[in-house]
Amino acid sequence: MRLLLIEDNPRLAGLIRDGLHGQGFAVDWCHTIADAETALQVNTYDLLLLDLGLPDGDGLELLRRIRHRKDTTPILVLTARSGLDDRVYGLDAGADDYLVKPFQLPELAARCRALMRRPGAALGTILTCGNVMLDTAQRSITIGTHRVEAPPREGALLEQLLRRSGNVVAKAALENSLYAMDAEVTPNALEAVVSRLRRRLAAANADVTIRTVHGVGYCLLAPVAAAQVADA
Amino acid sequence: MPDRAGTGPSLLRQITRRLLVFTLIFALVDIVIVVVTYLHHPEALAQELLSLEADRAGGFADPAAARLPESRNWSARIIRPATPADAMLIDWTRRDRIDGGYRITGVRRLENSPSPRWILIRFDAIGVKPFLPVMMNELADHVALPLVPLSLLLLLFNIISVRRTLAPLRRAEDEVDALDPDDMSLRLTVPGEPREVDTLVRAVNRALARLEKSVITLRDFTANAAHELRTPLAIMQLSLEKLPDGATKAELQSDTDRMTRLVGQMLDLAQADALVVDDLTLVDLAAVGRAAVALLAPKSFAGERELTFSDNGGASVNGHAEAIFRIYRNLIDNALAHAPGHTDIIVAAGPGPQISVRDFGPGIGAADQAHLFERFWRRDRSGVDGAGLGLGIVKQLVDAHGGSIVIESPGGGGALFRVHFPDVPTANGTGPGAVARPPI
Repeated sequence: MRLLLIEDNPRLAGLIRDGLHGQGFAVDWCHTIADAETALQVNTYDLLLLDLGLPDGDGLELLRRIRHRKDTTPILVLTARSGLDDRVYGLDAGADDYLVKPFQLPELAARCRALMRRPGAALGTILTCGNVMLDTAQRSITIGTHRVEAPPREGALLEQLLRRSGNVVAKAALENSLYAMDAEVTPNALEAVVSRLRRRLAAANADVTIRTVHGVGYCLLAPVAAAQVADA
Repeated sequence: MPDRAGTGPSLLRQITRRLLVFTLIFALVDIVIVVVTYLHHPEALAQELLSLEADRAGGFADPAAARLPESRNWSARIIRPATPADAMLIDWTRRDRIDGGYRITGVRRLENSPSPRWILIRFDAIGVKPFLPVMMNELADHVALPLVPLSLLLLLFNIISVRRTLAPLRRAEDEVDALDPDDMSLRLTVPGEPREVDTLVRAVNRALARLEKSVITLRDFTANAAHELRTPLAIMQLSLEKLPDGATKAELQSDTDRMTRLVGQMLDLAQADALVVDDLTLVDLAAVGRAAVALLAPKSFAGERELTFSDNGGASVNGHAEAIFRIYRNLIDNALAHAPGHTDIIVAAGPGPQISVRDFGPGIGAADQAHLFERFWRRDRSGVDGAGLGLGIVKQLVDAHGGSIVIESPGGGGALFRVHFPDVPTANGTGPGAVARPPI
């Protein structure tokens, strides 16, 4: 997994590169738009990490140029700009995600993985949270050391929650991925699947919990993640 | 739509009124001049009166019987010259002072007869009364006749010229209404003439240029400040993550978090101050509320608090989706900071154009409510949590939407913050526009 980091501050760039390297990413670093253009011509990257305030121009311009030539490489904008419209401008310009500085390394790594896992990247991935592991290609669930069998809907639900573990996944999004477009979804059908999955996880001694956020959705929490969130 | 009605009388009305008053004063002065002139020239008055009476009495078959009612000793007779030599008679007037007035004698040629005729009249005019008709005639001739058409013409001319003069002002008014805070480069069209409007428009344009400059300075400053402050914070954050776990790391992390939060809030506040909400975008309060709860729910789990969202029929309002998201976020952050563990925080949208965030913490005393939205105010100044900016940001964003915020103390304890947004007008029939997507 090869990333291109476009960031003008050498210390920050060094820290990001080292940090992501430790998480299994190969990171190339450019500090200007011009360098980035050259690097993009020479190499193919799985992901771009783009700072917006660069010495030779605005990162949004590079973003627009990349999208203009129909290049769909995922782009994560890393920026100090948090204005009321900045995020919208960034996403409208073609960014896939927007992360405001400062950020914690696990958060950055998680977002990078999430972007590279997007549909379109056909490769199967292994998703983990706590002692729960799901292989998206094999459709297999492992808890601790034991293989656990689950019906397709519960597997799909677990996959969606694992993909965004630590974050709340909206009910509507879960229903969309669990049921076909034309299927009749009763109001508590999803609730029933969630409670069956909860029982199955508990029975297999999983250390993760599925929290309900009433009126919004569900959130998969690892005990470690919960501790990290407490710090933040 | 802005209120274009304005207050006070229009310039046209003002000018018309002043012109009428001016005309009246002019007429009065004119009357006084005419009266004074004749009083100083009684012989002229006598001449005029005699001519008037000759015209009148000449129309009668027997002029002797056509006495001027206000006169005494009236005598009048027609003179028909017997010979052409007699026709050499000329008009004359004679005025003799008598007791209490004048005896006026004179001859006038009568115009409206086939053969030359003259009339000889003599009467005594006592006091001013006999002279009044002459005065009236003179006033009509010298005051009313020239003044009425002149005033009407002046009025017409004024209406036209005021309309023309005001046309560039009206255009400038339209252009000022169309000014967009997001596009500060717009300027009013300089009319060239009249000079007064031209200089006004140029002055407004100069003011707009100064505003643009300060907005750009502010925007650049917040952008630069954000960059200058957050890049070192990002370096601090990533550097401290490399430290071995321990008390020092935890302290540093907590300091960095506070610093990060403070920088974020100060920038948010600066941006909130500059926020202008247009009435073009509809924001679904429930969708934005769900997004805010989704973002903050993991944080609430950490403190063992249940964050729940309830859609009580939240409406769509005119607004800025990200700004409304930040209203929710800061209110929820505030609730998280004050609500003890194992309690609920209930976020709700609706009914209608309102949102609310309720916690089951200690509640807010009446004395504190007054300070709650002041910047940098904290109930406990020694407290380490927050800089006291969150609710200031909320207030600013709510104000920018033309909304209002109230703090309630519901039964069951805790505090409830309720934000009301203005209703979306539905009368104009254009229907709701695109509903902005929530920022997550």
